[in-house]
Amino acid sequence: MIVPLNALRPGDRGIVVNILGGPTARQRLVGMGLTPGATVQIIESHQYGPIIISVGGVRFAIGRGMAAKVMIRKL
Amino acid sequence: MMKVIALAGNPNVGKTTIFNALTGMRQHVGNWPGVTVEKKEGILEYRGQKFLVVDLPGTYSLTAHSIDELVARDFLLKGSADVVVNVIDATALMRNLFLTMEILEMGLNNVIIALNKIDLAEKHGIEINVKRMEEVLGVPVVAMSAKEGAGLDELKEKIHLMANGMLKERPVIPRYDPEVEREIEHIMAVLRDTELGEEYNLRWLAIKLLQRDDGVIKLILRHLGSAKLDEIMGHIAEVEERYKRAMDLIIASQKYEFIDRLMHRFVRYTKVEGESFSDQLDRFLTHPVYGLLILFGVFYLMFKFVFAVGLPLQGYLDDAFAAFGEWLAPHIANEALRGLLVDGIIAGVGSVLSFFPLVFLLFLALSVLEDVGYMARAAVVMERIMRKFGLPGKSFIPLVLAFGCNVPAVMATRTLDDERDRLLTMLVNPLIPCSARLSVISFLAGAFFASHQALVAVSIYATAVLLALLVAWLLSRFVIRGEESPFIIELPEYLIPSWKTVTLHSWERSKEFIKKAGTIILLGSMAIWYLSSYPVQMGTGGSYAERLGMFFEPYMRLMGLDWKAAVSLLFGIIAKENVISTYGIIYGSEEAIVGAMTPLQAYVLGMVTTLYIPCIATIGAVRAESNWKWAAFTVVYMIGLASLVGILIWNVGTALGY
Repeated sequence: MIVPLNALRPGDRGIVVNILGGPTARQRLVGMGLTPGATVQIIESHQYGPIIISVGGVRFAIGRGMAAKVMIRKL
Repeated sequence: MMKVIALAGNPNVGKTTIFNALTGMRQHVGNWPGVTVEKKEGILEYRGQKFLVVDLPGTYSLTAHSIDELVARDFLLKGSADVVVNVIDATALMRNLFLTMEILEMGLNNVIIALNKIDLAEKHGIEINVKRMEEVLGVPVVAMSAKEGAGLDELKEKIHLMANGMLKERPVIPRYDPEVEREIEHIMAVLRDTELGEEYNLRWLAIKLLQRDDGVIKLILRHLGSAKLDEIMGHIAEVEERYKRAMDLIIASQKYEFIDRLMHRFVRYTKVEGESFSDQLDRFLTHPVYGLLILFGVFYLMFKFVFAVGLPLQGYLDDAFAAFGEWLAPHIANEALRGLLVDGIIAGVGSVLSFFPLVFLLFLALSVLEDVGYMARAAVVMERIMRKFGLPGKSFIPLVLAFGCNVPAVMATRTLDDERDRLLTMLVNPLIPCSARLSVISFLAGAFFASHQALVAVSIYATAVLLALLVAWLLSRFVIRGEESPFIIELPEYLIPSWKTVTLHSWERSKEFIKKAGTIILLGSMAIWYLSSYPVQMGTGGSYAERLGMFFEPYMRLMGLDWKAAVSLLFGIIAKENVISTYGIIYGSEEAIVGAMTPLQAYVLGMVTTLYIPCIATIGAVRAESNWKWAAFTVVYMIGLASLVGILIWNVGTALGY
C-alpha cells in the first residue's frame, strides 16, 4: 500500500518510493537521505506541525506539507 | 604559497570542532567575496609547514540550491584546495557518504576522509573496519573523535603527506544503471567537442546536467547552443518516462544504492537499536504542548541566568568607566579636548561597552543550547506557531538572539536556507527589544512605576514581540510574497557541549558588539558631544542638539512628548542607551527627570524607544545582509510603527485620564 508520509502513525515503518513536488524541495530531502529506497520510521506525529522521522540512523523533523509529497510503501 | 586545506561536510558532523582543533586561536572570520556566507579561515602549523585551513559551509549535497552549497561547490570545483578534508559522521554514514560521493564525482583526488564520532558509532553498535573502508573508497580515512581529540595527529600527518604529494589515492566513483550510464556517456561524447573538458570533469558535468542543475545548464548552453542542449534534454525526458521518476531522484537513489553496496564491505551492525533515550526525549521535547512549556521554561531560565550574572557585571563596568573618566578629567588641560574625551568618548563608548557581559552571556547560553542539540527542537516546536505568521520555525533562533543584540541577530539570519525567510526574519528582527533597550525600559519602569515595574516592562516587551509577528505576517502576505519554504531540519544527537567550542563561538558572535562600540558608537558619541556642546553648552536652549529637538517638537507633541524626547531619540539612533543618558545630560539628575514627566509620558517614551529606528549598527547590518533598499525600508516602517503606537497610547491614555 502506497501512502503519503503524513498518513503514517508513530512506530510505522515504510520505504520511500517517490517524492513529488518541485526540484528544490525534492533535492533537499534527497541530500538528507530521504530518497527512494530509504527506510523511514515515524517517531512522532501530531495533528499539527512537523512529523519526527528517523532515516538511516538520523532523526529529522519534516513539515506536514512536505511530508504529504513523500510517497511511502508501508511495511 | 601556503597550501590550502578545505574542510567539507554535512552540518552537525563536528567540522567546527576539528577546525578549531587544527587552527587553535589563529583563525579569522569574514565573508566570501560577494556573498554573505561566513568564511572561516585559520592557520595550521605542522612539522614546520604552515597551511591555510578553510572551513567550507556545511552542506548535505553540492547541488547548488542555496548560497552555502554554491560556495562550497565552487571552491571545490575551482581546485582551490590542495587537500580536501571531508568530515563525516560515523553514526550516519549512509547520508554523509552521499556528499563524499558528490565530492569524489567531481574528479578530485586530493580527498581525506575524517571519520568523526567513531566512539559514538561504536556505542550504537556500528562497527567500521577503517582499513577496509580505505581500500573500498580508495581514499585515506582517519578515524576520529574530535571532541576527545583522538585521531587529530594522524589527520595532521595525512594532510601533510597529501599536501606534499606523498600520499596518492584512487577514489571510487559511483556507477549507475546501464541506462543512466549510457546517457552519461552520450552527454560526455557531445561535451568532448567543447573546451569544457579543460576546466571541468566531463563526467561530473554530464551527471549534473542529468540532474538539471541550473548553473550547469547555463554553462553548457553557452558552449553548445540551445539546439544541441534541447536534444540532450529530450533524451533525459525519455529516460524519466521509462523510470516514471524525475532524473535527479533516479540518480540520487542509485547513488544511495551504490553507497549501500560499498558500506556492506566495511560496516557491520552488531545490535538492533530499539527506542533510544534520544527518541524518548524527542517525543517529549517536540510535543506540541509539553515541548512548548519546556521551551518557555528553558528560555525563562536562560534569561534569568544571563541577567542574574550579567547585570551586576554591567554595573561594575559602568562604574569603572565613570571612575576612569573622573580620574582622567583633571589630567587634561584643554577644555574642549577634555569634554570630547571624558563626556563624549568615555561616557558614550563606556555606556555601551558595559553591556558586553550581558551580550556575551546571552550568546554563551544560546551556544550551549545549540551544542546540546536543543535549538533544533526549539525550531520544531516554534514551527507550529511561527508558520501562522509567515515565518519558519528556524527563524526563532535569530529572533531570540535579538534579545541580546540585533546586530549579530541580523547576521544570524544567514542560517536560514531560504532567501525569502531570511529577508522576512531580518526585517522584523530590529523590533525585538535588545539589551540596550532593556536598559531604557528598566530605567523608566523603575523610576516612574515603582509598584508596577515588572508589568510595565513586560507589556512593552510583549507589544514589541507581537508587533514583530504582526509585521512578519503583513510582509509575508503583501510585500515579500513567494512560496513558503519546505520545513525539514535534522535533529542532532544530544551531546554535552565542549566548552572550548562554546566559548570561542560566543566570543566570535559578541565580538561584533565590541567592534560596533569601537566604530559607529565612537563616532556617534563624538557627534553627540559636539551637537550638545556647541555653539553653547546643552541645557541653555541654544545648542545644536536643542535646536534640532525644537524642530521636531511639533511632531513629538502628537504623542505627548517634547523637544527633549526628540533630542534623546535622535541620539538614541546611535545606540539606544543614549536615550536615557541624553535625558541625564539635559536634566542633570534622575529626580529632575522624574519630576518633568508623567508616568504616561514615560510609558510612551519607553514604547517609542523600543519601536522606532534601530541603532545605526543594526541598520548597517541589515544593509550588509541585504541592500540599501531594505535597510531604508526598515527605518521607514519602524518610524511609522513607533509613531502610530506612540500617538495611540498617548491619546487613549489621556482620554482614560492618566
